[in-house]
Amino acid sequence: MIDLCLTAFLGFYLLLGAKRPFLWVLAYLYVDIVAPQIISWGILSHLPTSLIFFTAAFAGWLLFDDKSDSRFTVRQGLLLLLLLYCGYTTITAQFPVEAAEKWSWVWKALVFAIFLPLTLRTRLRIEAAILVMVLSASAIIIDGAIKTAAGGGGYGALRFFVDNNTGLYEGSIISCVAIAIIPLILWLARHGTVFPSDWRVWVFAWALVFACALIPVGTQARTGLVCLGILCLLYLRTAKHRVLIGATMAGAAMIAIPFLPSSYTQRMGTIENSQADQSASTRIAVWNWTLGYVRDHPFGGGFEVYLANTLRFETVQTQTTGNTTTVTKQVVQDGARAFHSSYFEMLGEQGFPGLALWLIIQFSGLIQMELLRRRWKARSGPQEQWQAPLAVALQLAQVIYMIGSLFVGIAFQPFILMLIGVQCGLWSYLRRTDSRVVTRLAERRRLAAKVPIAAASAASGG
Amino acid sequence: MVDIFALSVAHGLLVLAAIRLFARDDLDHEGGEPRRFGARRRPGPADDAQNGGPRA
Repeated sequence: MIDLCLTAFLGFYLLLGAKRPFLWVLAYLYVDIVAPQIISWGILSHLPTSLIFFTAAFAGWLLFDDKSDSRFTVRQGLLLLLLLYCGYTTITAQFPVEAAEKWSWVWKALVFAIFLPLTLRTRLRIEAAILVMVLSASAIIIDGAIKTAAGGGGYGALRFFVDNNTGLYEGSIISCVAIAIIPLILWLARHGTVFPSDWRVWVFAWALVFACALIPVGTQARTGLVCLGILCLLYLRTAKHRVLIGATMAGAAMIAIPFLPSSYTQRMGTIENSQADQSASTRIAVWNWTLGYVRDHPFGGGFEVYLANTLRFETVQTQTTGNTTTVTKQVVQDGARAFHSSYFEMLGEQGFPGLALWLIIQFSGLIQMELLRRRWKARSGPQEQWQAPLAVALQLAQVIYMIGSLFVGIAFQPFILMLIGVQCGLWSYLRRTDSRVVTRLAERRRLAAKVPIAAASAASGG
Repeated sequence: MVDIFALSVAHGLLVLAAIRLFARDDLDHEGGEPRRFGARRRPGPADDAQNGGPRA
């Protein structure tokens, strides 16, 4: 039944795309996020669904779409450079077979992130891309949130649709993404035109925000809790009624704590006491290993190079009974542990050049969104109200991702690359349509054209 | 049951979004008439001025 419905749903998008090919781009966003071929056991699981929609999205744009307003931005160039560099490190990888396996999805995610901005030529397309990304992720989030509320959570135990640990179905990744999209949900509820702002939209939006906040509880991923805390702080930074909102947040947290399962509070307690926690100690040991590795291999070891690590570290556990404190040290040996941090993932796999490129891509996004926010925040026209809040929402989403990335290896997570694609699209669209920027650029071009003429006439006159 | 509910809500909204997007012309072009496939952009006043005014 689910299988038939999912197939019909994709068929519907394919059909509508025949007239509006951009819907195929949206369909690919959906396929990449929800991965219906994983949920389905029937037709879809036997078809190369992802490849079909990837091809449809490209072909639709190439053959039928108007390309005169498409621009190739500097950040897309950086993504292309990163793609080529990753291709090179895959060829020279220390573990060629495993590296090729990761490359098989990384290149697709990067190519799509480079391609997406070319299609985002109108305001509605930018909104549609964000809407489809949020609604697609909401399928997983609503599922996880209801199961959490019903008591079905637990570290590594929360099951979304299927027993699968790839993409957004992995606990820490969905926790980070769920928190990162909260600003986008609120932007859609306030400025959306596909579902214009009314009480139904707000009810759904707040229910979804609540569901997003439940995901870190259900997955018991500490990353999610850190991300949620940072998001609250960032909102307080720009909020008008700081004290009121801060008090409400604190009150909500106080009410929520008694309802949280004890396993959750125990696990969150290890954020402070990381010495006793093997997971935290493993991370620190892996990061130390990575620093040593890149000293010998400054260009990185290619994808999945963490397989080479062998770790030996100590965990310290203190237990106080009455006046006696017992300190237990335990030596743990481990190997082939994942990076558990996007920064170290980039450093180990792609070396210094890869990490530098990745950081430039990330930070330039923050800067561009800040520039857009400053340029648009004081405008008062009725058509000039959505730009600054969207730039802020995309900036907040990226900040949350970058903080989550400290503890999770999601450097090439397709969802985040799509967000970068949307940022590039927004930047390019506003540059093209903002009358002030257009006038300034025209003036600059006019002056540049005058200078050689003046120089030539001066030369001929002298 | 929970799975079916979550899938239905998200997919129902995605279908509705697709229908609404399909019906809106500003999905593909903003302002003015849609440009035909392969058609060139009409020169604006700025281009005219650069080219020595509008052609007769």
